[in-house]
Amino acid sequence: MNANIPVLFRTYPSRETHSGCKIWEAARATSAAPAFFKRIEIGRGQPFIDGGLGRNNPSRVVLDEANTLFKTRPIGCLVSIGTGQAEIISIKKPGFLQQALPTDVIEALKAMSTDCEATHEDMRRLFANLSNTYFRLNVEQGMQAIGLSEWEKLANVEAHTTQYMKRKVVDEELTLVVNAIRFSSTKLTIEQLSMEGSLL
Amino acid sequence: MDVDTAITYYNNLAVQVFSASKRWPGDGRFKATKLEEVIKSAVGDVTGDTEEPLLPIGDGPVCRT
Repeated sequence: MNANIPVLFRTYPSRETHSGCKIWEAARATSAAPAFFKRIEIGRGQPFIDGGLGRNNPSRVVLDEANTLFKTRPIGCLVSIGTGQAEIISIKKPGFLQQALPTDVIEALKAMSTDCEATHEDMRRLFANLSNTYFRLNVEQGMQAIGLSEWEKLANVEAHTTQYMKRKVVDEELTLVVNAIRFSSTKLTIEQLSMEGSLL
Repeated sequence: MDVDTAITYYNNLAVQVFSASKRWPGDGRFKATKLEEVIKSAVGDVTGDTEEPLLPIGDGPVCRT
């Protein structure tokens, strides 16, 4: 596996389109979270594992893609939605049956929560001079008790999310998000922003 | 597929896939075959073909909505 080179499954034509891939294969590949599902091979036996490994927060990948497609357009806004505060995305200690998990996978799982917040910090720096353009929403409390596969706790996820959205600071940010989407006022193009980014 | 429909399908997928853990979880704790089955069924419902390509080969840069 090489988690450093993400493969993008595009639904629009591009020079780098992964040709011949079916919808179900793309869905299967992007959900191939190690320890949950075995990896999938597509086309000429290329193995895929879930992007969470290297790109749990895909903001940077999205910006690069937007730069390829829409270089000269002014940037509207970037809204990033997390799945729970980074340090509390808990990875349970493997049970004895899971000790067969390769250590590189376990290490990668640990790394992904830190990777997430690091990308957020990068984005904050990149957008520092552009007000109301970059937003990150991330439910801060309660999600640590809920595992990735615990579908029966969906009501808890909803409750924690509702609580989060009721917070004054979050409520205000949501208003800014809506305004940024509806009335974009940025003059900077995606290309200009990306050039600043390469200096970081 | 609109967002509400997607959420309904996702909820159904989560219940089906994560209810059936494997007895011997060597290569992943849940059945990838079950996941594939549920995904294919959703693709079939929406497109009419479970094997629908992500992007038809040979399509020009046209907007497909």
